[in-house]
Amino acid sequence: MTRKMEEDLQELIVRYRPIITFRVRKALGAQNTDCEDLVSEILSQVVEKIQTGEFRGESSLGTFVYTITSRRIIDYIREKTRVMKYAPEPEPYPDPRETLEVVEMSEKVKKALSRLKPKYREVLYLYYYQELNREEVAARLGVSPRKVSELVNYALKLIRKELKR
Amino acid sequence: MSNCKFEEFIDGYLLNKLSERDKELFEEHYFNCTSCFEKLKERDVIIRTIKNHPQLLEQKEEVRASALASLWREVASFFTVRQLALAGVMALLAALVILAVIPRNQLPSPSFVLTDEETVRGSSITLISPVIDMNQPPAYFEWKKLGENVEYQITISNSEVLWKATTRENRIILPEEVKTRMKPGERYSWQVKAFGPDETLIAVSSRVQFKLSEK
Repeated sequence: MTRKMEEDLQELIVRYRPIITFRVRKALGAQNTDCEDLVSEILSQVVEKIQTGEFRGESSLGTFVYTITSRRIIDYIREKTRVMKYAPEPEPYPDPRETLEVVEMSEKVKKALSRLKPKYREVLYLYYYQELNREEVAARLGVSPRKVSELVNYALKLIRKELKR
Repeated sequence: MSNCKFEEFIDGYLLNKLSERDKELFEEHYFNCTSCFEKLKERDVIIRTIKNHPQLLEQKEEVRASALASLWREVASFFTVRQLALAGVMALLAALVILAVIPRNQLPSPSFVLTDEETVRGSSITLISPVIDMNQPPAYFEWKKLGENVEYQITISNSEVLWKATTRENRIILPEEVKTRMKPGERYSWQVKAFGPDETLIAVSSRVQFKLSEK
């Protein structure tokens, strides 16, 4: 393998590892102890298929990686369905495997939430915590659904501002 | 970061509200779109923080109190002591006039039907949650607090009484055992009654209905 190819593969791993990790954790639950192994396995499969020429560029690289990830997740669920019935209880928050970056971000979000004006807190509470849809939130607050979107978007903007500090 | 049409899928994806087709489309998309993936990661942290710390969004009373305090400080710095005293006297006089006039025009207290035989007249309790149809049994029931030393009795029923409990808080967690008895597609109603220290009925809420949607 040439040095250039090695660098390309390294770049691919750096780029797709977080995306695959996100997809796997979303599908299996962040507490699942097999997540990391599964991510490494998927990355190995991707690298192997590229090296053996199975990826011919018919789709984008992202779609190729997505397909391998989705197939592996489905296989894992099939294999483990019986075993997972007896899986241990999920660990309480904060998840010990949470990265330092996420922990820091969460602290900043908490700070931003506590600084928000009541109207923004209320709309975030109903929309994200109670998971009401825009129309339901609008009915609760006596405003239009469009106004709900504006309030949510502005609240998110304020939170993002805190995250960038 | 550019605006992408898939951005509107982010909340639905994280809150598991997308159809299977849209979910797959969005998943394939974020494997290809760095901008959407970055936003997805960020929104995931925001939503998880909200889910894990709802109390940060619930301290409304405290915020209102501090807002009132700052408003008062601004008013106080704007007027002189004499002007404030005069305003106070005027407000007192206005309150006396209102109190003298209003009771004669007051509407009768609302009536609440408790059973076929029993009707009471009294103040109402505002029910906060749940008041709309839901996908799964609610985690808790919440209503507006009436005051101190009040005991609340909550009743949840469909064709018959499903659960009855009392509490001194204005919120009660629905036990798992009751949740398992609540079936998708069924309509339930709930009502709260408030009792004073001497166990007299002091207020009754209206009966609010909600339906658990079919899975």
